[in-house]
Amino acid sequence: MIYSWKKIVKYGMPLLTVTILIEIFAGQILQGRQNSLLLFPVFLITIPVINSVGGNIGSVLGARLASGLHVGYISLSLEDKEMHDNLFISLLIGFITYFILSIVIYFVALFGNLTEDIALIEFIAIFVLTGVLLVSTVALVSVLTAFLSFKRGLDPDDMVAPVVTTVGDVMGIVFLFLMLGIFGVGI
Amino acid sequence: MYAKEMVKQSLPLIVFCGLGAIVAGSTLGVMTDLLREIPGLIVVIPAIIAMRGNISTAFGSRLGSAYHLGIIDADNLWNEELKQNIIGNLILSFFVAIIIGVLAYATSLLLHVYPNPIKLISIVLLAGVISAVILTLITIVIIYLVFKRGYDPDNITGPALATFGDIITMICIFGSAILVEAIL
Repeated sequence: MIYSWKKIVKYGMPLLTVTILIEIFAGQILQGRQNSLLLFPVFLITIPVINSVGGNIGSVLGARLASGLHVGYISLSLEDKEMHDNLFISLLIGFITYFILSIVIYFVALFGNLTEDIALIEFIAIFVLTGVLLVSTVALVSVLTAFLSFKRGLDPDDMVAPVVTTVGDVMGIVFLFLMLGIFGVGI
Repeated sequence: MYAKEMVKQSLPLIVFCGLGAIVAGSTLGVMTDLLREIPGLIVVIPAIIAMRGNISTAFGSRLGSAYHLGIIDADNLWNEELKQNIIGNLILSFFVAIIIGVLAYATSLLLHVYPNPIKLISIVLLAGVISAVILTLITIVIIYLVFKRGYDPDNITGPALATFGDIITMICIFGSAILVEAIL
């Protein structure tokens, strides 16, 4: 038998504890701005979406980099062309995804009477800008995590997904409130 | 066209997962009254979702490895390896849920928000354990279907569990909050 519940708990606990500490921090940012979120529930809908897309793009990029490093067609250099291509494509996919989803969210919110008085264009601008900032950050974190873990002899496949999703969850919320501030929504 | 191929392969799945997240987000969007009535509730939401995602994707990828190692397959699914994994998941969920509740309560106090600790910890514990049971069952069903059809579980369980996980966890938090608010 290769699995025992004791080992699963023992090896799972440290990473989960760190993740949870960071996520509670993200949750406290939400609580601090709860009043503006309750005023504009459309932005409550966006939070899981912003984080899910950012996390997925970062994880896919990380998995691709990990395979490239393992097989050898990506070199451990910040100048690597293959890595640059992957980074650029991640940003492109992020932009397209956030744009499509912003329209879907707006109409879901409109249907549920949650849009209050925010215009479609303004909503798209806030959501897509938040998304582009997040994907840029997550992509950089993904490259750095993949490269650093590979350099130290760790398997990037184990490292990138948890790091990227946790960093993405916090930064997604930070960037959303930054954009809301810049656009003067909910203050 | 290398770039075109990459966009074509990953864009649909990422957009699909995003649509799943909209369902999770809409559940959060209709919880405004509960969020107003239960201070601290919004603090635990990212943590519970992250815990669930973390535990269930690790479970999925362990089952994937077990499949490749030949110790589990469609005809030999319900064995001791799987049971150990399930027990491990449930115990992890139980303890981590308690930690989330306590941390959310303690950090709120520092920020001068005063949640009801019994309510908050009960909500996290209920949501954590119920979502663990449901997601474990869903993982087993997905893995059984994947084995039966001979697909590689590594390509499918991650995104599928992440998407189902967010929706089910959000609904469990919603349900637990209503239940606890009604009883306590």
